[in-house]
Amino acid sequence: MVKVKASELRKKDQDQLKKQVEDLKTELSTLKVAKVAGGAPAKLAKIKVVRKSIATALTVIHEKKLTQVRLDSKGKKYQPLDVRGKRTRAIRRRLTKKQENKLVLRVLKRKQNFPQRRFAVAK
Amino acid sequence: MAGKPKPDAKKTSKVLKKGLHQRKHKKWTTVRFRRPETKVLSRKPKYARTSVAGKTRLDKFSTFLQPLATEKALKIIETFNTLVFLVDPHADKKQIKKYAEQLYNIKVTKVNTLIRPDGKKKAFIKISPEYEGVDIANKIGII
Repeated sequence: MVKVKASELRKKDQDQLKKQVEDLKTELSTLKVAKVAGGAPAKLAKIKVVRKSIATALTVIHEKKLTQVRLDSKGKKYQPLDVRGKRTRAIRRRLTKKQENKLVLRVLKRKQNFPQRRFAVAK
Repeated sequence: MAGKPKPDAKKTSKVLKKGLHQRKHKKWTTVRFRRPETKVLSRKPKYARTSVAGKTRLDKFSTFLQPLATEKALKIIETFNTLVFLVDPHADKKQIKKYAEQLYNIKVTKVNTLIRPDGKKKAFIKISPEYEGVDIANKIGII
């Protein structure tokens, strides 16, 4: 048996993928029974392939759900936590760039009205 | 223009003495003080903590790990019309019954379970007499 390819699975929709997972799982259960009842080595070797296929199918299902969630929550103020990006714990707790560069109104006005001047001396 | 009604003299004097809003003290009839029920708001989260719900841990495929085909197990199939399975240790009898009926198209009368010394759960699934244990075992592939 050839392992199911993720690129092929991505073309399917959610219901088809769910069905695929169910079929693979039933196949797995029959293979496990064969293992107990002393099955052919071909069958026993197939167990690993089927297990990995189930894993890829579940990954694709999850991927698709997540892309949909990303689309839905794009541009929104509050996004689900796993959509926000993991980065690192410390980075998440840092001030945002906007927050860091924020100035008091007085200082802002001063900077706008009296910027740092640059002069050049003419030879 | 009709004259304004005269304010009640008694009332005004009471208000002047005790204030406009007089708090009525509730009589305590017990020795204990129990916290009064306050308003409890239900949650209205502004965002989901996890975007995609995780999959259920114990579905019909993951409850049954493998059937047992030992000598004792085969004897049990023949004599008692009962299948013997190794089952996920977190599965309970109700689940086992439901999923066995779904997966193997049988009718289960009762399920007995035990936890083996090696930590695995063994389930004895008694099938109703209209089904033959040996036939079912053949169909599943145990024998």
